[in-house]
Amino acid sequence: MVDLLKTPAAWPTILLERASAPDPTDLDAATRAGAFDALRRVIRNFGATATIAMISGVGLRGRGGAGFPAAAKWRLAGSTDAARRYVVVNGYGADPATATDRFLLERDPYAVIEGAAIVAFAIGASEAIIAVRADAIAAIRGLEAAIGAAEEAGFIGFDVLGSGHDMTVTVRPVQGAYMLGEETVLLKALEGKRGQPEQRPPYPAERGLFDMPTVVHNVQTVATLPWIVRHGAEAFAATGTPDSPGTILVQVRTPRGDGIAEVPLGTPLRNVVALGRKLPAGRTIKAILVGGPSGGLLPPDLLDTPYDFEPLRAAGAHIGSGSVVVADDRACTVDLARLLTRFCANEACGKTIPCRIGTRRLVEIADRVADGRPRPTDPQLLEDLSADIVASGLCDHERLTTLPLASGMRYFRSELDEHILRSACPAGVCHPIAVAAGAIR
Amino acid sequence: MSLVPGLGLAKGMALTLRRFFEPKVTVMYPEDRRDVPHKFRGRLQLLYDEWGTLKCETCFQCAQACPIECIDMGGIDTRGRYHVHWGAPETYGERREESALRRSGRPVPDPAYRPFAAVDLGALDGILDEYDHDPAHMLAILEATQAAYGYLPVAALKRISQLTGAWYAMIYGTATYYSHLRFEPAEASAQAAAVAAHRPPEGAYLAALDAALGKRRNPGKPARA
Repeated sequence: MVDLLKTPAAWPTILLERASAPDPTDLDAATRAGAFDALRRVIRNFGATATIAMISGVGLRGRGGAGFPAAAKWRLAGSTDAARRYVVVNGYGADPATATDRFLLERDPYAVIEGAAIVAFAIGASEAIIAVRADAIAAIRGLEAAIGAAEEAGFIGFDVLGSGHDMTVTVRPVQGAYMLGEETVLLKALEGKRGQPEQRPPYPAERGLFDMPTVVHNVQTVATLPWIVRHGAEAFAATGTPDSPGTILVQVRTPRGDGIAEVPLGTPLRNVVALGRKLPAGRTIKAILVGGPSGGLLPPDLLDTPYDFEPLRAAGAHIGSGSVVVADDRACTVDLARLLTRFCANEACGKTIPCRIGTRRLVEIADRVADGRPRPTDPQLLEDLSADIVASGLCDHERLTTLPLASGMRYFRSELDEHILRSACPAGVCHPIAVAAGAIR
Repeated sequence: MSLVPGLGLAKGMALTLRRFFEPKVTVMYPEDRRDVPHKFRGRLQLLYDEWGTLKCETCFQCAQACPIECIDMGGIDTRGRYHVHWGAPETYGERREESALRRSGRPVPDPAYRPFAAVDLGALDGILDEYDHDPAHMLAILEATQAAYGYLPVAALKRISQLTGAWYAMIYGTATYYSHLRFEPAEASAQAAAVAAHRPPEGAYLAALDAALGKRRNPGKPARA
């Protein structure tokens, strides 16, 4: 398991409030610490409409990377006429180097279960599905034990807390494809189909799992809900930024190792990076990869960027999986961007042409540059092709796949030019065929 | 040679005249439409590329789209795996390279082809019962089938298709998408290695990060995939 990083005492603790419990699946200890208090209050005091209004009022945004307002999904799903509705909690955590979702599921399963039940109550769904990576065995066992205990105590299951509502919560282990992190792909997998994204709209909140209205949330989004209900909207609005209140789990990785921390949204990237382990002596930060495999490479002068949805997008990165990777001056940004793009291209599901072929061409351009045999038109081609992929993509996978190379071009142009014009790699990572090129001339 | 001079010519002209007054068969297509069955899609044809090899990659998209499910195929998929679906093995167990022979229209037997070993499908019926024969649980059915047999035998996929009513092509599409499902026993190491090389695991990303963070294992050699 990954370590928890020490954060400043002034930072709020929302998601990891009960994370230090000795046995996270102990229902008695969890209820003493406040678990299922919020669900009781939502069912007995608020009712569905007031709950949606409250979440809409505090402006909770989805933690899955896109930052879509949570209450908007609930309204759409609740107002769509249907025989059944579903809640799907996305705990897949596709990024192989980030374990934030898994960490939360292992440390506090009751927060996720309670949050899922609150969403289910608010939209009138009777079934909530928590999708977890099949290799996260500890998280699956913990969740199953927690669901069993909560059902026994009457917090979920039939006739929840005497309200007459039925809410079953199930765990579904899924595996086999990186793309399962995308919401429509995950729904396809839960339906037992080939995992390929769907055109939106209609959004899943209107027509999702088995063509029924489905609210898909990240585990961190649903785990935030009980805290909001228990501590009130004002307390929640005081955290993070006015536009995106709350906290998010971040995994900071440096050459010395990695760890998970709960970070209020809007924290300057500098403070997020400072949470991680120190760089080796004499090394300086060269690039910060924000957002996982399809993240953007940011230079050290952008360390003051707030860790928030819009500022990061504007800088050419995104929150994505909550991964922040600090690379020191030994890294070559061209090589790193090439390997990231290659990974994303290999994981593409192949449904649309910009993704299947466009990302492949991006990799080929990057390979040419790194090997020291670029064509003079390559930088222009890279730019045009990236723009075309972004404009014509079906899901966010291909749009974000352009980020490593695009942000590399934007902030590390001199290093790219060094590769293209002089067939040299300043960091000494790539082995461009400078010698061979000389031999040809 | 006829005895009456010009008789042949007259016969020919008579045929021409008769055809001249017959109704025309040309259809002014976009304006006029022939009355054909609504599932009619025209003639099926396999195309060859400029090297004479089949362009078909066994992607099953045509089988999936076919409204009357008349298309089926066997051959080598893009991951180098060999599939035979149904029909006589000698018509499917053929080599793609021998295209000249293929174009003669005769089936070309592949001497290296070994038919699949017989599979006992008894275990599969229990699995399907457990999942209510419901195609909505296809992923779970396939995972349970793989757990029972060690891999997904084609005969089992056919049986699942028959008993659940899901199209074979759809099941095949699901089974080929998820990287943990396989069509060969795990011990078929040469093929497994080829598949792994074609689609590197998630470790590729971790290796890239390690490289960027200065943990490159083999600094003398460029990290090429």
